[in-house]
Order: sequence, then C-alpha cells, then structure tokens
Amino acid sequence: MIAPAAIMIFLFYLMPAILTGIFAMTNMSTATGISGGVFQVTQGAVNRLGPDMPELASGIAEPRFVIDEEGLAALEALKLKPGYAAELRGQHIGEVFASRREAERVIKALRDRPSTREVKQISDLFNRSVLNTRFETREALIGNLEKLGFKLKPEEQDKVARETYTGWVWTTDNFKVIGNSPDMAKIFLNTAFYVAVTLMLFNVSYALFLAVTTHYMPPATASIFRAVWLLPRITPVVIYVLMWKWLTWDNGFISMFMGQLGVPPKNYLLDNAYNAWFFVILINGFIGASMGMLVFSSAIKAIPQTHFHASEVDGASRWQQIRYIILPQLRWPILFVTCYQTLSLLASFNEILLSTRGGPGRATEVWSLAAYHTALNNYTGNLEYGLGAALALMLVIIGVILSLIYLRVFRYDTLISKPLIED
Amino acid sequence: MRILLDKFSKSFGNTKVIEAMDLEVGSGEMLALLGPSGCGKSTTLFAICGIHRPTSGRILFGERDVTSLPSQERNVGVVFQSYALYPHMTVEENIGFPLTVRRLPAGDIKKRVADISALVHIDKLLGRRPAQLSGGQQQRVALARALIRRPDVLLLDEPLANLDAKLRLEMRSEIRRLQKETGITAILVTHDQVEAMSMCDRIAIMKEGEIVQIATPSEMYNDPRTAFVAGFLGNPPISFLKGKALGGAFVSGDGNFRLPLGSLRNVGDGRALTIGIRPEHFGPSGDLAIEGKVAFAETQGRENLYDVVLADGSVLRSIQPVRDDVKLGDCVRWNLSSEAAFVFAEDGRRL
Repeated sequence: MIAPAAIMIFLFYLMPAILTGIFAMTNMSTATGISGGVFQVTQGAVNRLGPDMPELASGIAEPRFVIDEEGLAALEALKLKPGYAAELRGQHIGEVFASRREAERVIKALRDRPSTREVKQISDLFNRSVLNTRFETREALIGNLEKLGFKLKPEEQDKVARETYTGWVWTTDNFKVIGNSPDMAKIFLNTAFYVAVTLMLFNVSYALFLAVTTHYMPPATASIFRAVWLLPRITPVVIYVLMWKWLTWDNGFISMFMGQLGVPPKNYLLDNAYNAWFFVILINGFIGASMGMLVFSSAIKAIPQTHFHASEVDGASRWQQIRYIILPQLRWPILFVTCYQTLSLLASFNEILLSTRGGPGRATEVWSLAAYHTALNNYTGNLEYGLGAALALMLVIIGVILSLIYLRVFRYDTLISKPLIED
Repeated sequence: MRILLDKFSKSFGNTKVIEAMDLEVGSGEMLALLGPSGCGKSTTLFAICGIHRPTSGRILFGERDVTSLPSQERNVGVVFQSYALYPHMTVEENIGFPLTVRRLPAGDIKKRVADISALVHIDKLLGRRPAQLSGGQQQRVALARALIRRPDVLLLDEPLANLDAKLRLEMRSEIRRLQKETGITAILVTHDQVEAMSMCDRIAIMKEGEIVQIATPSEMYNDPRTAFVAGFLGNPPISFLKGKALGGAFVSGDGNFRLPLGSLRNVGDGRALTIGIRPEHFGPSGDLAIEGKVAFAETQGRENLYDVVLADGSVLRSIQPVRDDVKLGDCVRWNLSSEAAFVFAEDGRRL
C-alpha cells in the first residue's frame, strides 16, 4: 500500500524540489536551451577569450584562406580555365593564408593569369573562417582550428571549448551572482521588510484584533463580521487587486476625491516607493489576515467557557482576560500562523505582480517575484532558468531556517510536553 | 455576609428557568441547593456570582444591592464543577490570579498564596501546572483560588462531581472544615443528597425552578413537606405505596392489603394516597406486621438491603444489620413502625 503514495510523493512533491535543486546548479537559459548544445565561435566567445588568449581571439575573428580539396572541387565546378585548379593542387595544396590579400597574391601569380574578377571569385572558394560556424562536437571544433593553423595546448583547448559551447553546463555561478549582486541585496531587504511588516501588522496582530473583537460580540453579529472579513480571501485576487487599482489610479477614486480639493491627479499606487509599499502591504494584509482570524477565532472558541466565567469572577477586566487568559492559550495558533504566513508571504508574489509588478522601478520587487522575472518573464527575453531556480532554492532554505527559529522562539517542546500526573 | 434573593426570576429567551424565587442565606451559613439536573440550581448560582443577570428581582449581599453589578465587582469566590483552572499558569499563578488582576504588589500576593495554600494543603505543589495535578489537588487549587481574596460568599458548583468515591469523602469534610475555619457564607450546588446533608447547615431542595422546602438536613429527612423531598433524601431511597384511605387505614390493590395507620383517622374514605416508608422503618421491630417475599437481597458489609414484594405487588425496601437467615425468595413477616410512615396526598403534599 505504500507504493502508490510513494510514487505520488516522488513525482509531484519530491521531483519539483529536486529539479529546482538541479536547475539551480546549471546555467540553463533560453540561450542554452534545456537539452544539449553545440560549439560555435560567436563574437561573444571571441570577446570572452580575448583577455587570456589575445592572439587566438584576433586570429579566429579574421577569415583564413586554406587551399584544400574541398575548395579545389568547387573551383573545378566553376569551369574556369582548368590550369587554375591543376596548378593550385600541384603547388599550393595545404597552404594557409592569414588574410585575403596574401591568398589573392598567390592566385594572381598563377600561370594562366586569372582576371581580377576571377581572383576574387577563386579566393572566396578557399575562405575557411570558423566565426559563426557550428560544430557538433568538440573534436570537430578543435580539428578545424588546427587545420587553420591554430596550435592549442590541452588547457587552451579546454578553455576554447568551454567558451564556445552553446548548451547548459553545471555551475555554481548562480549563487556567486546572487551573492555579489547589489540588486539582489536590495531585493533581499525588500523581501525582509515586506514579510516582516505584513506578518506582524496584519497576519498576526490585525487577525488577533479581529478574532478577539468577534469573541466579545453576540454570536450572530460575530458570524456576520467574520463572513465579511473573509471577503478579501474569497474574492478572486485579480478582481480584488483591480479594486485597489481603481482606488489608486490617476483616474481612480483617490485622484477624483483629491481633484475636488485641487490636487492634480496622479497614480497613487506607483507614485513613489513609499506609496507602493503602503498599498502592497495593505492588499496582502487584508487578504492574509482572514486566515489568522479564522484560526485564532476557533482557538478562542476552544477555550472552555468556564475559564472566562472564572476569570470574570476572579475580577479580571476584559483587557486582563485577553492578556492573561486568551493570549497565553493562543501560543500554538500564533506560532502556526506565523510560520505558515511567513512561508506563504515568502513564496507568493501574485498580489505584487498584479498591483505594482515590482515597481516603481524595482522598489517593490521581492525575492519570489525576482525569481519569476528571472526565470519566466524576463524583459530582455533571455529567461534564466538556472538563476531563477537558484533564487527559488534559496527561498526554500530561508523558509526552513525561519521555521526552525520560530519553533525555538515559541518553545515548541513545552507546547507538546506530556503532563506528569501523580497519585 | 448574608445573601438575599428577592423575587429572583431568570429566563433564557422564552424559557423560564426560575420564577420569583426568595432565598435567604445567613451570614457564615453553608446552604445546599439540592435538586435534579435542570431544576435551576446552577442558574441560581450563576446569578449570584454575576455570570447571569437576573431577568427580574434583586440580589443582596448584606445590605448592598448587587443585582446589576458585573461579576468583577461582587467579591464572590466560585469553585466550578470543572475547576476552571488556567492550564497555562502554575498553581501559584492560578491561586494568585484574583490578586494579580487587582494589581497587588508581588510580595503580598506571594505571601497570601503561601498562607492559603497551606490552609488547603497544597503548599508543596505551587510550581506545578494543573495538568500535572490529580483531581483532588486540582480541587484544592480551585478552592484556594476562590478563597484567596476573602470573598463575601463562596459558591461551589458540584465541586465533588469529578472526584472518585474516596476523594469525594475526603474533600467533603475538607470543604466543610475550610468553610468553618474561614467563617465564610457558602452556597453548595449539588444533585447528591449525601453531599448536601453531610456538608451543609441547611438544604434548599429545588424542583423545576422552585424551592420546594428549605430546612436543616435532619428536619428535611424526618419531616419532608412533599413526596418529592422524601424521595430525594435518603439512601437507600424511601419506598412508596399507592392506594386509598378506607376506615382509618391505607388500602391498596383490590383491598386485600390493609395498613391501619393512626395518622389516617381524619382522612375521608376513598381519598387517593401515597404512603412513604423509609427502609430503616421496615424490619424485625415495629408495630405493624407485613408479609411478603424477598425479591432482592444485597449486603453492604455492615448492613443488608432487601426488597420485599407485598401481596398487592408493591415493593417495600428494608435495611437491617447483617443477618444470613434470609435468602432470596424467602417469605418473611416483618414489621413496620406506623408512626414513621409518611402519608402524602395525590398531588404529593404531605398530610
């Protein structure tokens, strides 16, 4: 009976995580593709080779002229004077010229005296440049280079192969990029700010406020309030964010209202970073608080009614009831909501994507949104799957670390300790 | 402090639970509110401590009208059936809670917790949490918490219901001891007549929201006002015979069972009656012989309990010192003390 569950777990739960880990260790992108690649001396590769092997780099970039059988066959096919091909084969086969000028000097000196137009025509047939030529294997690339007269040492061959390979390769560069990029540092701080503020102000505090308020209401009123407070969660997030956009657009409600006071209309959502954060946190907060409210409400309901009676009789005011009776007994629900919402805030970016798209500039770009932008929706069009997966992997690691810290802070072991009843 | 309920009524929605109830509890007295479940005894208790507001009527502590005061301002101590100990606090914090919320200095609280916990013998358990205590220890903590701020009145809601038999006996005398030592006015809500009789100065027996009789335990036992009271008090319970009056005697069945009782001399012939006979008044001694067949026999160690089926099919219970000459199915001829038999009218009132 374990087998079906194990297969499901492996395919749909473990595999995505494992693949994320695998992708994170590659440089996969739209450019490399996700299958293999070829060896191609692009201008980019030439540029990369430049600093270490200036001779090779400039040599590769130039055309090379080689008198070979392939060219001779082509020349014969042109049906010019047969002497051209015969003489070139007899006297010059295998010769390599570093420039068109040198090659043409030899052709011009042929005994049958080709015309200038023919010289040009013939030299073209022997042009053997590797620039932008695709080689399926490394051996083909290196072989061609050697034929063109580039003698490479083994380590130089390695370097050339590495720089000209167009497929993906294993690498840990993603993490170096993340670690060294000032952009990512800013995004890290954005994320920490966004998660901490939304979590503390809304997902926990505001949710607690709602739960405690409804606890002291008559039951019918309380259920109406709870139902209304669930609306942001029930409303499709696209619609809900659209409402906020209507509120904040330059022809939205705020602008209309401020217009009455003579303030020129503006987009309050994307006006500046402060406003953008303000609304991003409000949107996420009101959606997120509903879950905490539900969890806390049911936890308060689970406190025996006699505890409230007893504390009233003991002389506790409402505030003291909240502080001494309700809050201490909500430790586990608060831990749960904090943990759960931290993870969900870290991982979710849909509200931000729908409202500010990370803007203005990259002011509200958070980690998960950056991963999305990097891997799936890049402005430049080169989707960097590997880098995106590395970003996602770091998010998972941060989530696990935070969960462990929470368990420590809330002293999880005392929450589950067994009673020791005697006599 | 004297507690007075003056025409106290309480209804929940359209359901009237208590109507115009009068009750006075003397200062330093311990009174039991005794009755079957649903009779309104807990509702009365909750009204006294302020958890429920009366629909009408007044509640007085001494001369002070507390009817509209919230619980917080009433100075009552309550021991709930479930004890309602706060699970996240230690014993010390639980007991000190009524003082903590009054913002007393920590030193004073500590001292008073020490005093009261010594009084209820739990001074060694102050560091524990309620889940780490036995039922009897929890009970003591609840008592200490109720007593620590020296309340005007101590209310006990079925305080022994969750304890095993041995602990119940122990806590019965313990609570009574504490009540006497502190001289506090106390009201005990219970459905257990033994508890009520053994712990309290007076018993108010309730039925369907009304107090049927209020008296000391022995008065109530020996002089019940109704068949309900007679039936509620006493263990093993009283036996009832149904019949009618005929020529100064009680007659039942088709007339073949006859009990001449002095108390029926002035009762008109043919009136429907119920006779109540306590098991201790039916046995070897007495002035009226009755024959019957033993249908049930049980020994309780010191005493034996018998059910005797009479000629008309009704059953009399008997409790006697242990004897081994009577077996199940034996025919016996035992006696009844005619003076001790209670006579009730058809509506349950005592004649």
